[in-house]
Amino acid sequence: MAQIILRKELMADDLNQSMSSDEQLVSDTLGGDKAAFGTIVERYWNMVVGLAINKIGEPAEAEDIAQESFIKAYSQLYSLQQPSRFAGWLSKIAMQQCSNTIRRRIRCKSALGCKAAGFEEAEAKAAETVNDRLTAGQRYFIRERVGRLPEKFQKLILMRFVGGLSAVQIAKQLGKRPGTVRVWLHRSYKILRKDLAPILEEVK
Amino acid sequence: MNCEKYKKLIEKYIEGAISYEQVAELKTHTETCENCKKEFKQCTVLEDSVREAFSSWMSAEEGKVSVMARLSAMPKPAVRRAQYNLGWLAGRRASIAAGILLAIGLTLGFTIGRAGIEKPIGAKVPMRVTGLEGTVLVKHEGLDAWQVLEADSDIHLGDTFHSATRSGFVLEMEDKSTIEVNQNSMLVLKFYNGETQFFLRESTSAIFHSNSTRPGGGIRNRIHSHGRVDPDNCRFAM
Repeated sequence: MAQIILRKELMADDLNQSMSSDEQLVSDTLGGDKAAFGTIVERYWNMVVGLAINKIGEPAEAEDIAQESFIKAYSQLYSLQQPSRFAGWLSKIAMQQCSNTIRRRIRCKSALGCKAAGFEEAEAKAAETVNDRLTAGQRYFIRERVGRLPEKFQKLILMRFVGGLSAVQIAKQLGKRPGTVRVWLHRSYKILRKDLAPILEEVK
Repeated sequence: MNCEKYKKLIEKYIEGAISYEQVAELKTHTETCENCKKEFKQCTVLEDSVREAFSSWMSAEEGKVSVMARLSAMPKPAVRRAQYNLGWLAGRRASIAAGILLAIGLTLGFTIGRAGIEKPIGAKVPMRVTGLEGTVLVKHEGLDAWQVLEADSDIHLGDTFHSATRSGFVLEMEDKSTIEVNQNSMLVLKFYNGETQFFLRESTSAIFHSNSTRPGGGIRNRIHSHGRVDPDNCRFAM
């Protein structure tokens, strides 16, 4: 909890700074400074992976998608019209990459008859490598419940809780009004709190 | 205990818009208020759980290293947007330049059209041949051969004429001025405004000069011509 609070404090402090620094980092990257793009990757890695897991379901594949998304963002950085909305743009690239992966999976299944790694297999792998307080079942349950939210709420929750962006930052990234994002955020939070009540009791 | 203030702080926490001082204040309050403690705890647990469920096996730092390793083999991103902008600007500049040139051209064209321009000697000013009598020869400018002048033939300023004795013709210009070579080898120049000038055969050399002014104002045609009048015939160049 101390970690969360510290993260939040830092985030609240950098509320406006991080936005302008995104623009600066994009500008530096276009100027040939690859390290600046490294900072961008570090900043949005969790958000992109979270969005990809939500679509794909497999963390390993989601990481591949995240990497591809960053590579694509780097090579197409020149086409970014509003550097202050980098995260919103990046999330769209990630969604596109997820759609490509899903299409590839379908083609693979129907044409070649190959079998994509199942949930159990992926979770078993996860259980071997991740030592967290959530069980595989609990993780699956949370993902499934988040996946039941309306599309716009899903993105919001992931950008907020996984990506660590504030409501104001999300509003800027998605081109929405801060008031709207706040309302959506509280609404989705309420739904999740109700849906995840059993898990939250266990985790406590 | 007034918990409204702390509920607002919890809302700000959910929105990610809480400050250091506010977190410290909230924590102090939750030590003594069970309701707010429960609410805040639920908030943090939910956030932690969602983050964990969607977390990467790789840390952000590892992800960065992995991406940067792949990027190291790639060239720096193209600055095509800047090029596009420059192209757009160049196109815009070209359009502006074209617009300026067009405006200048139109202005000049309009001015020239209104005021007329001094046509140099030899310019292709069309003239209509009428009242042709006898034999008149014409030598078109730039040619050596003499041809018999025929009515409605193609005559321009700069052509040379040879009017034999007892022959005559009239050249009508576009501004209604006329040049007449009568049978007495007399050059008669009539302007559209009614003014008439005579050049008699006794003259060894005659120069007629037309400053024909159009009714609308301005000089339409300024014609410099030389006429050489011989005793028996008339030969002159326009």
